Amino acid sequence: MPTATTSFLDQQIVLDHGTGARLSRELVEFVVEVLADVYLGEMEDSAILPPLDGALAMTTDSFVVDPPFFGNGDIGKIAVCGTVNDLAVAGAQPRYLTLAMILESGLPLAQLHRALESVRDTAREAGIKIVAGDTKVVGAGEADGIFLNTTGVGVFTSPPKRMKDVTVGDKILLSGPIGDHTIHLLSVREGLGFESNVLSDCAPLNGMIDAVRGAVPESAVRSMRDVTRGGLNAVLHEYASAVGHALRVEEEALPISFETAMAADMLGINPINCANEGCLALFVAPEHADDVLRTLRAHPYGKGAVVIGEVTERPDPVVELTGKDGRVSEVEELQGAELPRLC
Amino acid sequence: MSKVAVLTNDLQYDLVNKNQERIDAVTEATPSFSAFLKDMRERGHHVVHLQLINKPDDPVAERYEGGRLPAQKGTQGAEILPVFLDETDILVEKNKDSGFYETDLHDRLQALGVETVIVTGMQGQICVQTTAADAFFRGYNVWVPSDCVVSAREHDKVRALDWLDGYCATVAPSEEIVRILDTDGDLPRKVFRTP
Repeated sequence: MPTATTSFLDQQIVLDHGTGARLSRELVEFVVEVLADVYLGEMEDSAILPPLDGALAMTTDSFVVDPPFFGNGDIGKIAVCGTVNDLAVAGAQPRYLTLAMILESGLPLAQLHRALESVRDTAREAGIKIVAGDTKVVGAGEADGIFLNTTGVGVFTSPPKRMKDVTVGDKILLSGPIGDHTIHLLSVREGLGFESNVLSDCAPLNGMIDAVRGAVPESAVRSMRDVTRGGLNAVLHEYASAVGHALRVEEEALPISFETAMAADMLGINPINCANEGCLALFVAPEHADDVLRTLRAHPYGKGAVVIGEVTERPDPVVELTGKDGRVSEVEELQGAELPRLC
Repeated sequence: MSKVAVLTNDLQYDLVNKNQERIDAVTEATPSFSAFLKDMRERGHHVVHLQLINKPDDPVAERYEGGRLPAQKGTQGAEILPVFLDETDILVEKNKDSGFYETDLHDRLQALGVETVIVTGMQGQICVQTTAADAFFRGYNVWVPSDCVVSAREHDKVRALDWLDGYCATVAPSEEIVRILDTDGDLPRKVFRTP
């Protein structure tokens, strides 16, 4: 007797997988089987959960990725990492996740299986449980294979991390290289030749954040952001506006790999504007910056951690860049996305 | 003496005839370009044409006016211009910018014992750049003859050659490449220092 998984793998999503009838039930059973121990639901219409000891954090995000499968990740991994990281940078412990899927008719079940395995493995690593879910099926051409939405709930066991707690003199740290995720995806999409040398940085960051918070006093890390859409540029401008002071970063200190710099230069894009999926920006009290840096570098996801700048006394919400020649210029906030130069 | 292969990119009817700027740029480059290919063949080196074949289901493949997909498999528009082609040449189909992306180019070059690739063709930006970068990452010694690289716009070509020279290739006029091969029997490998 084949399991639900093996009987589904050779099939494709059809509209009847979303009608609520037998095929829908079989699809849900397939999802539950793949998710295995990370799924806590009881197939009721609502998840019934025990009370959490502390204030709650809640966040939601939808994920559309082209291509949905890439080096060091896929849409399933991103869907867990994105929400887990949003909870963790707020200072919460990620606990529960919902998983909603919009599936395009014709999607091979083998691809869904692969994405769900990534959801499961990443949720296990992040220590988060999936407690509810939903599947919808749309016709061919009405979506791009698979879209995911995750909503996360976390609990605060210590005070939340807020932008308003950042102050003049705080150091700005990055946990690792910037630009790799965008360059990798562009390279896979267009066949640019960088895809094997530059991989996505997609990772759940809550474990590394826990390590940092365990190594320094709670007040040492003022605030954190995962550097995702909009890139480092967007994060820095967001904080400059919130703090009301200029942030100054050193161009020489920006962690950009040779290959990513090479590809970005070819494409006419700036790595500081590129999306990442496993890079953390931290605003840290200066006296604790070395300890935080040391702790980050001791973690597998923080080996490339660096101090890139600081919050200055200048009372203007701008971002300054000290160039390699020592000259200081203001970094412009992008209006929209930067378009890569392609044939 | 390491074996050398010249790689050409996208010298195909549909792609060259896309607009007058491309036609003019290819026309201007053709005398020295075709002479270089002939010189290399006469010296026993391989000429490999990377032939872009656009797949109808590729959502990012560029479509021309009216939605026509150029350079589809089996069409005349996908064929290599005869002025660049010889019966001894090798054709490798590619579906993306880099000639190495999901093709057997690397395996075929390895089977031929090739250690040095000379990357040429159209356009200088992206297709020549990505094929050169991909070759560099795979350990090939990469050279680019500046007069055998074509872009519709001159400034794109200049920028592409600067980029190639700075990151992954030795850029020199084709005559100089032939002269070095004739005198030294080999093309020296440039050292790129990564940070």
